[in-house]
Amino acid sequence: MIPVSVKLAWREIHSAWSRFLFLFLCIALGVGAIVAVDLFAVNVAQVILGDTRALLGGDIELKWRRAISNKGHDVLASLPDRHIVLSHVTEIAAMATVNNPNNSQAPHPKITSQLVELKAIDSAYPLYGRLVAEPDLPAAQLLNPLQSNCSRSPCFGALVQESLLIRLNLTVGSELQIGQGNFLITAILRKEPDKIANGFRLGPRVMISQDALKATALIQTGSRIQERYRLSIPNSTSLEPLMGELRGRLSQEGARVTSFRDAQPRLRRFLDQLNLYLGLIGFTILLVGGIGVACTIQGFLTQKIPIIATLKTLGADSSQIIRLYLTQSLILGGIGSFFGVIVGVVLHQGLPLLLQGIIPETMPMNPTVAPILRGMVLGILATLAFSLWPLLAIRNVSPALVYRQSVNQSQTMANTQSRLKRWRTILQHWWNDRAQVVVSISIMVGVTGLAMWQAHSLTLGLFFSGACAVAILLLIGGTEVLYSILRHVPIPQRYLLRHAVRNLQRPGNFTKAMTLAIGIGVMLMTTLTIVQRSLLDLIGNQIPSQAPSFFFIDIQPDQSPQFMDVLQQQFPGSPYKLVPVVRSRLTAINGQPINPEEHKGKRNGWYFTREYVLTTSRSLPEDNVLTEGQWWDYTQESDADGATRASSNFPMVSVEEDAAKNLGLTLGSTLTLDIQGVPLVAKVSSLRQVDWGSFSINFFMILQPGSFDGAPFTYIATTRVPTTLEVPLQQAIVAAMPNVTAIKVGDVLESIGRIFHQLALGIQALALLCLVTGAVVMIAAISINRYRRLHELAIVKALGASRRLLVFSLGVEFGVIGAFAGLVGLGLGCLLSWSLLYFFFDLTWTFDLFILSTGLLLTILLCLATGFLGTYRLLGFPPLSVLRQE
Amino acid sequence: MQLRAGSQSVKILQDISFEVFTNQTVAIVGPSGSGKSTLLGLLAGLDRPTQGSIHIHQTDITTLSETEMAHFRRKHIGYVFQAFHLIPTLTALENVALPLELQGVTTGTLRAQTLLQSVGLEHRLHHYPVQLSGGEQQRVALARAFIVRPPLLLADEPTGNLDSSTGAMVIDLLWELHQQHGSTLVFVTHDMSLAARAQRILTLRDGAMVNELPPQLLSSGSEA
Repeated sequence: MIPVSVKLAWREIHSAWSRFLFLFLCIALGVGAIVAVDLFAVNVAQVILGDTRALLGGDIELKWRRAISNKGHDVLASLPDRHIVLSHVTEIAAMATVNNPNNSQAPHPKITSQLVELKAIDSAYPLYGRLVAEPDLPAAQLLNPLQSNCSRSPCFGALVQESLLIRLNLTVGSELQIGQGNFLITAILRKEPDKIANGFRLGPRVMISQDALKATALIQTGSRIQERYRLSIPNSTSLEPLMGELRGRLSQEGARVTSFRDAQPRLRRFLDQLNLYLGLIGFTILLVGGIGVACTIQGFLTQKIPIIATLKTLGADSSQIIRLYLTQSLILGGIGSFFGVIVGVVLHQGLPLLLQGIIPETMPMNPTVAPILRGMVLGILATLAFSLWPLLAIRNVSPALVYRQSVNQSQTMANTQSRLKRWRTILQHWWNDRAQVVVSISIMVGVTGLAMWQAHSLTLGLFFSGACAVAILLLIGGTEVLYSILRHVPIPQRYLLRHAVRNLQRPGNFTKAMTLAIGIGVMLMTTLTIVQRSLLDLIGNQIPSQAPSFFFIDIQPDQSPQFMDVLQQQFPGSPYKLVPVVRSRLTAINGQPINPEEHKGKRNGWYFTREYVLTTSRSLPEDNVLTEGQWWDYTQESDADGATRASSNFPMVSVEEDAAKNLGLTLGSTLTLDIQGVPLVAKVSSLRQVDWGSFSINFFMILQPGSFDGAPFTYIATTRVPTTLEVPLQQAIVAAMPNVTAIKVGDVLESIGRIFHQLALGIQALALLCLVTGAVVMIAAISINRYRRLHELAIVKALGASRRLLVFSLGVEFGVIGAFAGLVGLGLGCLLSWSLLYFFFDLTWTFDLFILSTGLLLTILLCLATGFLGTYRLLGFPPLSVLRQE
Repeated sequence: MQLRAGSQSVKILQDISFEVFTNQTVAIVGPSGSGKSTLLGLLAGLDRPTQGSIHIHQTDITTLSETEMAHFRRKHIGYVFQAFHLIPTLTALENVALPLELQGVTTGTLRAQTLLQSVGLEHRLHHYPVQLSGGEQQRVALARAFIVRPPLLLADEPTGNLDSSTGAMVIDLLWELHQQHGSTLVFVTHDMSLAARAQRILTLRDGAMVNELPPQLLSSGSEA
């Protein structure tokens, strides 16, 4: 049989469920946000940790950033004998040109060339997963179309991303030229199974066959290619020994060997971080919702005082009654969490829209059980934490209330003591009340524990709770200050104005709780907006006017005169720079070999594992500042190549100071660089400071001129032309030198900006949800005093106040709440964004009047709208019907 | 007994001393504000006197903690209010069974049903308080007060919210239950004819006991 106490708890919810609607909402929003983020995190884990074979494209991948040596080819050729299936993929950036430039229907007839990311595949591709094209025909058929369909012969098939078609105004069936090759666009590329995320892209993807790549003649010495061989190994072969063997055999060949197990550590780290931030915002929403829970429970208990007193006269002790109402809160929290799960699943389905372009396209978005259960538990625990405090007040309800209105103890104190003394008395009461001490500490420990659980980290959870506590204390402090100022403002003479001000100061009206709930949301939004604005400014608005408009890469040494000719004849006066570059890897420092495995995944470990693009220069580049050592001096010598070198056996190198610091280099250290299989030892002769934000070509390592003579180097060029000449310049260079790739700086920045914007959108959506939760808390708090408000409005109306005047009075009340929440939230938002920019991003914080004033205005509007939403029905009640119910 | 309101304190009761014996019926009368309800509340342990002591069944209830007092109350005291104070979200049957359940007895329904039958409400078992008339509500409250078979039953103007004929019926029931269960009955009333049915009448004025009627005490027994 169900005990009467449980029946009582359930019936009270049932009879007043509409007043718990806001409690449900408060919990549901928080739980929803957490569940959505958690579900997303599980999906990420499924992709990253689960079967990543499709993402890597094989069980093992061998990757070269240069042409494969003969020995490398020998190793590859030996694999099929062991029943290992190979798939060869080559990637290179290239320029695609429209083969039929007289396309008169084009909206931008001028655009006829575009930077694309070329991917050449073989017949074995893909080893795992499925390539989806439109029309969905076999890849072999799409890549080798009938020659009769092409205007030029020989021609090859190309699968292209839709963005390329849009950009060049082409359709399936149009023709392209890439390098020396002719291509017929045979299909739109819908899904590449081995595409991780299209995060940063130089241009749209174009997929062709390996034979076609040869026909383009793009691969020349020093070209920026990526050769990948994916291996599918039979079940009888174990992974680790094979990895070890391949690493050993290919260590001298510049190959990177990875297995699907250690694929994508960077993407994984990035998505983990993203989930962490989103999850903590979700948790903040739950905490804000908790304020709503506390208000609702407290308001509900105030109404239930007669029943509590009656229960006490019947012999119920306080702990029994607290248990009863705790049961009730937990039922409410359970229902709210259940709604939260529904909200979470819906939000989760919406996340990919917000994070488009950041998450892998092929990511599954199916909900799983664990995050849902976790959300339920978190919701119920949060309800417990936030309702326990108001429930303790049950102990103070005297059974004598059944026959007498008791005098409120704390109010008595308020009237008789100074504020300081009052606080001291309250603290003393708190300390003497062991139950309250235990509950307070349990709540603090509990919330911290939940934060740790959410952050999956003890320190971060502790840090988060600490930051929360500081933020809440500051918010409370700020709110207290504002309301105490209000107390000292002379009471307005007009009744309705006075009524509004009095309403704000009345005990038990939750004004401060409302201000706090809205203030937290405003704080988060302000912080995000300011940080986002600063970062976008950095990317977009702060490009120096001297920044180049184009980077041209892969210019062959014999093409450099031609390049300068085109530039000087067709675009005279354009400033340009042409520097030789060669790509290398660091293999040893001071003769000590570097093991890349040791540095993988470590902070700044990429300094050891990255590819270094080397250049030579006679003079110190502009924007570079020498911090240590000396630049090589060529002024004395007519042909100085090798002159200074004679003093030591090694060529000299100037290293960027951060790189030097992380690599542990000092003046005189030696570096061993592997240039396409040939080792080059250089001695550090100077350290430089580089302004990476200048957008000119900068290098971590600059060698003495002549250091890599004979190495397969190419040229990189930068130039700056007016915006109107950008397209003609690109066409002219590509027409003259089809193998040269033009990278438009504006496009790259736009691409970075887009990713950042997308990221910010995802985070901001959750921060907005926090603000919405604040608004719900406000409605919840208003609705608690609904009856009293209704009664007052009825009396004032009966005395002749017009509706307009009442609206004005309510407007003042909610406007003040909005203004206070806005001021406090904006203030703290500024503080928080300042610390983030200063400590994490190393950027200066700028006062943005527009953001701040808009923020304040929007907060006031939000509070007015929310306030009226919570009270507009009350205004319509005829006064007589209200007063008659007395 | 003193009460504080703001910075002022008001003496509600003073110099009151009396004994009540088992099975006695005692009426407390007096004008409004004379402290009748407070006196009854003190007897039930709902309030605490600022001075003095109250002994019920050899226990000084003024020394009990709040929880001890609650536990004492649930075993020894039944209380009937002028305003009934039924729990609105529980049915008549559940309201009556509630005190037993607070004691941990989960099979109180049968006893509650019998008691409701004895107050003539067998057809109202599953009705909520709002669905009952005032007289019916007070009969439910009587059943609730008697369900733990309390040695001491306190009633605060039990007919104050009822019309005279309904009030008379409730009082008859009260007496019947008192006799059935053999409990001591102390009640507050304005109604002198009702007070006349008691064995003793205590009169209060301005917080002090004025006199006691009728002066002769007949019954003997242990101290209640």
